[in-house]
Amino acid sequence: MNKGESLSKAAAAVSKKTLGRRTFLRGIGSAAIGLPFLDAMAPAFAASTVPGKAPVRMAFFYVPNGIMMRDWNPKEDGPLGELPRVLKPLEPYKRDITVFRNLTHNTGRALLDGPGDHGRCCGSYLTGIQVKKSLTQIRSSVSFDQIVASEIGAQTRFPSLELGMEDARQAGDCDSGYSCAYTNNLAWRGESQPLPPILDPRALFERLFGTGMPMTPEERARQSVYRRSILDFVMNDTHKLESSLGPTDRRKLDEYLSSIREVERQIERAEKDNKQIDPHMDKPYGVPADFADHFRMMSSMISIAFQADLTRVITFLVTREGTSRPYREIGIPDGHHPLTHHRNIPELMEKVSKINTYHMQQFAGFIEKMKSTKEGDSTLLDNSMIVYGAGLSDGNAHLHEDLPTMMAGRGGNYIRSGRTVTVRRETPMCNLFITMMDRMGVHVENFGDSTGKVEGLDLA
Amino acid sequence: MQFRKSKPAPGVFIDSDFSTIDSVLAVALIYGMQDKNECRMVTISMSRSSLPAAAYLDVVERFFHGPAGNFSQLPAIGMPDRGAPLATPAAYVTPLKRTKADGSPAYKVQVTRMVDTADPCTLFRNYLEAQYDGNTSFVLAGPATNLAAALDFRGLKPLIPRLKHLVFATGPADGNIRADVAAAKRIFAEWPTPIVVAREDLGASLPFPGVSVDKEFAATSPDHPVADAYRAYKTMPYDAPSWAMTAALYAGRPNAGYFKMSDPGVFSIKADGTLAFTPAPDGKHQSLIFDPSQKDRILADYVQLASAKPVPPRRFFKKVDAEDPKDDAAKADADAADAKEAAEPAVAKPN
Repeated sequence: MNKGESLSKAAAAVSKKTLGRRTFLRGIGSAAIGLPFLDAMAPAFAASTVPGKAPVRMAFFYVPNGIMMRDWNPKEDGPLGELPRVLKPLEPYKRDITVFRNLTHNTGRALLDGPGDHGRCCGSYLTGIQVKKSLTQIRSSVSFDQIVASEIGAQTRFPSLELGMEDARQAGDCDSGYSCAYTNNLAWRGESQPLPPILDPRALFERLFGTGMPMTPEERARQSVYRRSILDFVMNDTHKLESSLGPTDRRKLDEYLSSIREVERQIERAEKDNKQIDPHMDKPYGVPADFADHFRMMSSMISIAFQADLTRVITFLVTREGTSRPYREIGIPDGHHPLTHHRNIPELMEKVSKINTYHMQQFAGFIEKMKSTKEGDSTLLDNSMIVYGAGLSDGNAHLHEDLPTMMAGRGGNYIRSGRTVTVRRETPMCNLFITMMDRMGVHVENFGDSTGKVEGLDLA
Repeated sequence: MQFRKSKPAPGVFIDSDFSTIDSVLAVALIYGMQDKNECRMVTISMSRSSLPAAAYLDVVERFFHGPAGNFSQLPAIGMPDRGAPLATPAAYVTPLKRTKADGSPAYKVQVTRMVDTADPCTLFRNYLEAQYDGNTSFVLAGPATNLAAALDFRGLKPLIPRLKHLVFATGPADGNIRADVAAAKRIFAEWPTPIVVAREDLGASLPFPGVSVDKEFAATSPDHPVADAYRAYKTMPYDAPSWAMTAALYAGRPNAGYFKMSDPGVFSIKADGTLAFTPAPDGKHQSLIFDPSQKDRILADYVQLASAKPVPPRRFFKKVDAEDPKDDAAKADADAADAKEAAEPAVAKPN
């Protein structure tokens, strides 16, 4: 279901010296490629929330099992100095990030429900409520990203996208009586309706640029014989558009289409390498075995989706909460979760820090792309709020306070970044959520256990 | 390696302006009962703002609790960020400045900014959510400012009935009422649980034996923050009235027979700010009455409990009562958790 204008309609718009923001390059079959913000569209941005400005996007990158907090927390409040070890990969972008201290998810705590911190912390992360401890009677609540999606989602092709990289099981016991539905999803459309993440880069690619229906391995094999790119299908539309654009826009369009082609190549490479994957590994066809490759593909498509304004709301469950995934590629054959129960043994703590830093290195690559993508006078990163965080702080002690929370971007040049913002202890994480909702143009008085907005974030 | 689901020892919240030393002794008393697994300190909060006092209370909490450990949280100190600040008694500043013989600070100060404390109502709500119905008491030994605010705080009012009762020490000359009459009026009119009042005469009749500070407390630790504060509060020797301690003792040991109980009735606040009591068979309010026959026992228990050596953090779970079917289920859970723990390697897996 494609929303937006086709190029034939757009041609009329171009003739009036403007190009519709929701113009698609269409081609054979159902290929449809959204366009990035071009100078030719400048007046068209009047359709966004704030006249004359690019829309604000938000995304959540969730990492599991807490973080080694001694290597995460900056030493001081205020302007960021030298970043601690885990955040170090973001050193070139530290003026673009905000680190939050003391945010708490009380609903992730045991309260009266006993063991199961992993199940609870992920289930409550974006919903702000304590989920029901059950394997069969799933009960959570609408997550705040979905509230935003339902309010502003009609303005984009996809109200929201839910992505992940690991386990999409929706049933079974994933933590002490908590269903896998809680550990394997971030976004919830209703109290018993989780939105399972897309794990397969090919499936995501086809969703963004094709019919939205993933092809079977046989269909893919047939397509690969012809070695055709999605860009080939929309070539005619591309040429038509190029001829009507100025040199700057032509360069932007070329860079944008090249980035799509690059992702497509990466996916093709992963599909070829698929045969080499350990047959015992529980991975869907086409999902790369290499964590960094997988992350790069998924995050590249996030930036493309934001760039083309295909959606403004994305959640990304990097790996599922409680995962015991090993990281052999960086010399760690031990499972992630067992390592986080390090009992203060330095050797194990070092491994956890190494995993946390490895995750951040991948994230830094994504931030680089967001920052290098120009959007009018600013960048895609300036117009976004990309939150990177976890539902536990200390994974060894299973603490739910002072959650590791970092936001990259300025939410439309609104947030005064490059610093640490410390709120009072026990301040609900939901306070950040309603602050973000406000920035997304969705104004609510309360969400979850919120007690107010996070004050003092803005440039004023 | 996680919490067992079984009934914990009764919890106690304490909220005070800490303008008098008996409130600090009440904190020590609650921890003394916690060490015997008779009750469990939930949170400590202040009804007036003073960062040095919060820093001192944080030191006290760490002294008794020890560092936060696995599944053992160390709650923040609750403190309002508005209202008239507390003129901090020297009792709380002096211990923080004290050094040991080697010149190092006697206590590590970790609360230095407002952000190191928590909003009292948020703290109450977050920790009250973790309490079983009827298994927790609230000791109020200062103005009722925070509790009146709690009645209006989002998500908190429905949780208040989980408390067994509120034990209100009205302080010298009912000063805790006079300090915020409007708040006290609301509490007596609207608070949903039973209220037990410990009035001035009770604490005045049971002066804390100050001599114990240089004996029992000193024997527990040469660096005892409660003893240091007691010494700094007034010129020694002196015996401090125990207003807050009476409330804390009743909250932790309600069935110990330390005090006589008044008939039920209703407290209200008169126009001049004084407390009035109207007997009523269905009234939710009672007051504690001094029982001279219990005086020596109470004073001995004050000293023994408040000066008790801190016990390292542990899980506060009692043996469950096999006659209660709910407890049977809880015991089965606990046993299963034990068996799982024994079978598991040192590093736990969630699935």
